[in-house]
Amino acid sequence: MSDFAIETKKLRIYYGENEIIKGIDLKVPKNVVFALMGPSGCGKSTLLRAFNRLLELNKEARVEGEVLILGKNVYGNGVNPIDVRKQVGMVFQYPNPFPHLSIYDNVAIGLKLNHLVKSKEELDERVKWALEKAFLWDEVKGRLDDYPASLSGGQKQRLVIARALALKPKILLMDEPTANVDPIGTRKIEELLFELKREYTIVLVTHEPMQAARVSDYVGFLYLGKLVEVGLTREIFEKPKHELTEKYVTGVLV
Amino acid sequence: MTDRLHEELKKVKKKVIKMGSLAKEMLYKSVEALKNQDVKLADEVVSKKSELAEMDEKIEEEALQLIALYQPMAKDMRTIACILKMITYLTRIGRYGKDIANVAKELADKPHIAKLVEIPYMTELVCKMIDDALKAFEMENISLLEDFSERDDTIDALRYSIFRECITYMMENPANIKRCAHYAMIARYLERCADHACKMAEKIYYMVTGERKEIK
Repeated sequence: MSDFAIETKKLRIYYGENEIIKGIDLKVPKNVVFALMGPSGCGKSTLLRAFNRLLELNKEARVEGEVLILGKNVYGNGVNPIDVRKQVGMVFQYPNPFPHLSIYDNVAIGLKLNHLVKSKEELDERVKWALEKAFLWDEVKGRLDDYPASLSGGQKQRLVIARALALKPKILLMDEPTANVDPIGTRKIEELLFELKREYTIVLVTHEPMQAARVSDYVGFLYLGKLVEVGLTREIFEKPKHELTEKYVTGVLV
Repeated sequence: MTDRLHEELKKVKKKVIKMGSLAKEMLYKSVEALKNQDVKLADEVVSKKSELAEMDEKIEEEALQLIALYQPMAKDMRTIACILKMITYLTRIGRYGKDIANVAKELADKPHIAKLVEIPYMTELVCKMIDDALKAFEMENISLLEDFSERDDTIDALRYSIFRECITYMMENPANIKRCAHYAMIARYLERCADHACKMAEKIYYMVTGERKEIK
């Protein structure tokens, strides 16, 4: 077993002719929150989507190099992207629960479709477990049959996190999960990240350096498709080694 | 947004430099007053006490506001951390000036012993260290701080030599005791001021490089 949750080797990503990710060697340790930060268009989300092979849903995208999830190359021969995505859950910028499914079914659907539970009791238990993990159970336990439309933005986002957790992934990818959530909801999600990293590895994309500073253990600074600097969060924000990182965290670089 | 932070930070830095020259002036003039037995000048130094305290408070308030409003990072944060420490050291220096000025008033009635031993020379050296620290802070140039450790050693040696010399005069004549005890105290104050200059140098070094360096 690898010491790292995610490792990339000479990773290059193209959209058509354009090289978006320009040769990245990255190592994400296990059980940490790893923040990828950088200005808009630097390739953060693209890189994130390479980790669970979501990228290939875009016909123009082409990946070179390796992405190792827990030591195994997900772009290797015969690897099924669906299996990768079971291990590597994802939460997006816009809270996207299934609007036509109840709160309960939003969490249960992945388990049902993948035949991961054997009985109704087991399903109930896993749904409760996932909602508890996402710090949402107490707020929704009396209305599991309601539709997600009745939830606030922050609650919706935590519902989506519960949906991802239900499949018991090893890694959780989050693409600006609080971009559309109010400050209180943001704080709850940030607290949640802190709890979740005991059991999961979280890679968080953020364009807000302050959020990276608050929640992450490690930070990778991405600029124009290159990984400029990776380090412990407290070091990156106290004394970045690279001038570009310094400029970015002090707000000179936009 | 952040350009405003940098504008504000520049203004606060200027205030620190201004406070620094006030503190250094207080120290320098207190020894001038002592040397020339100039009670009027000593009074002037003592009267600067509240101005110094106001600057300390004002700068602290503004620096904390910058943290609250802009959440500064990296060098911006280190600059603010440096400022918050520097104003404390500068306050200490200015207040030693005030203490020496009070002694100057008390010792203005009779001639000095041995031309104030080496106190005026020691004062020149200490003030030069404070000056260099302020310049290094202003220009973010750490080369001015390189020899602070050696300079501090010189100051320590001077303090000890003044102390021994004063003991000799006290033994020679008990009438010298009060005056010489004050000299020894003043030498001690000056030595502390050099220590504060060294602490400032450490913080400035941190501000510029991000590395912590101990000046011994």
